[in-house]
Amino acid sequence: MSVIDLGGGVSWVHESFPETNGHIHVSVYLVDAPEGAILMDSGSFHHRQRLADRIHDATAGRGIGAIILSHSDYPHSGNIPAFRRDWGDFEIIASCGDPDLQGLPYARRTKIGDVTEVLGRRFVVLDPPLADRNHTTWVYDEASRTLFVADGFGALHAPGASHVDWGRLPEEGRAEGVHEFHAQTLPWLRYADPDRVMGALHAMLEQHPPAWIAPIHGPPIAEPDIPRYMADLSNALTRIAASYPAQTPE
Amino acid sequence: MNEPGSDTETPPAAAPMPAARTGAGWRRDVWPGIHWIQELGGHRAGIARAVLESGADWYKPGNELYVPQNAYLLTGERTLLWDTLSPASGHILLPALEALLGDRPLDYLALSHPDVPHAGNTMQVLRRYPQCQLVAPAVGETHALYHLDDAMKVGPEDEIDLGGLRVRFPEATFLDAAIHTWMSEETTRTLFTVDWMGFPHQSGESLRRTDEIDTVVDVGRLEEFHSRVMFWFQYVHPHKVTAATDALAVQFAGYGLAPAHGLPIPGEDAAPYYERMNEVVRRVAAGGRGGVL
Ligand SMILES: [Fe+2]
Ligand SMILES: [Fe+2]
Ligand SMILES: [Fe+2]
Ligand SMILES: [Fe+2]
Repeated sequence: MSVIDLGGGVSWVHESFPETNGHIHVSVYLVDAPEGAILMDSGSFHHRQRLADRIHDATAGRGIGAIILSHSDYPHSGNIPAFRRDWGDFEIIASCGDPDLQGLPYARRTKIGDVTEVLGRRFVVLDPPLADRNHTTWVYDEASRTLFVADGFGALHAPGASHVDWGRLPEEGRAEGVHEFHAQTLPWLRYADPDRVMGALHAMLEQHPPAWIAPIHGPPIAEPDIPRYMADLSNALTRIAASYPAQTPE
Repeated sequence: MNEPGSDTETPPAAAPMPAARTGAGWRRDVWPGIHWIQELGGHRAGIARAVLESGADWYKPGNELYVPQNAYLLTGERTLLWDTLSPASGHILLPALEALLGDRPLDYLALSHPDVPHAGNTMQVLRRYPQCQLVAPAVGETHALYHLDDAMKVGPEDEIDLGGLRVRFPEATFLDAAIHTWMSEETTRTLFTVDWMGFPHQSGESLRRTDEIDTVVDVGRLEEFHSRVMFWFQYVHPHKVTAATDALAVQFAGYGLAPAHGLPIPGEDAAPYYERMNEVVRRVAAGGRGGVL
């Protein structure tokens, strides 16, 4: 199983985990930078060996030179120590108030709003409207116009469709996969005003127009498919909010 | 779970933090049978600056300001540890446990959620107390991605009788990770609210309850914490959040509050805190998040 080329030096290293109502991606991305390969998140320990083998092949044995971490949650950060044993004490770029508390004492800290250079490639660090942990960041790769995101923008998929980008998933069940993913992953959406969340997302996409949205927990979304994904997401947020009516009248 | 990605065969190597940063430690009987183990973390200079700029009068310039991690050890006839502090503080947690337990076994380790600063010493505790039963929230779909597939799963229907103490696992009303639970202890009437109802404290206030400090925990102080940790308050319909808070105030009227990132609040003082949290939500929904923790 190899990696999938998204163009612009970005490739998708897809891994999935079976859930009750579908499979969830717990993927990573490789980005070719002038000074080495950057891994976006490290994946779950559950997929460690397969990820390591595929990264080894995709980088012709050189391995990775840096990891940009979306957040410290274990399925995203779980392979950092093992990969550092494999490929040396490469740089970890992470956003958090206190790296020690997140188990990342060696991380280089970034902040929302930074433009940061990693192995000679520029990334814009963004404030994610769809996250679980407060220290989560999304990054926009200017060279390829790829927006790397966790945990939002995911989608469950049917077994067997783990290598297919979002726009090519069968239409039947596709919108439901967007709904199901966000309902289970971001419990706070029960309180959300869908218009405020969608407004923040639209503003971000306008300012940083992606050729690809590259989620950790879903298939990549190509530029022509983004409007359809956003419509499905908007419906999903509305459904989630409606399923938790306020407990007392306003 | 130790540092991210550590596995059972690789013990973590988190360096002990300087003594000045770890002065809190533990205390017996914050309430009868409930012992408190606290990790201060480092001085939060950015939050201290924001507090001073806000004109708050509870913080004395020059003091260290902390947003702590709390673990609680419950000792009835059986014993239960609630959360494990961050991976930077195994050297606080394990000696505290040994001192508090003495020759007694640890019967249960219950995790509120598999977040690094809460679950950071899980493997060390299970190695030190190999007979201990790991307890995890039932809700959620991805337990295997957190080494929680073999844990005993608990939810709102469940109660663990510790003999003299009884714990239940009400739904986490305000939460980050999907795999998440709150806990209540029914004989002392204590609600463990995890990431909710936290607030910073300063030098001299560590390991004190709110009734044992001289400063007030007002809306602004609660906002410093929640406008960062519950960054999503900026996207909510405030009335949905305040309705849920009001429901908690009724359901847990008279319960003391034992947060993971603040000081414990006695039950007789807890009622106004719910209304303060409602004001926090309105402020963050109107003004945006306060930053990152
Ligand atoms: Fe997450
Ligand atoms: Fe995630
Ligand atoms: Fe948390
Ligand atoms: Fe927390």
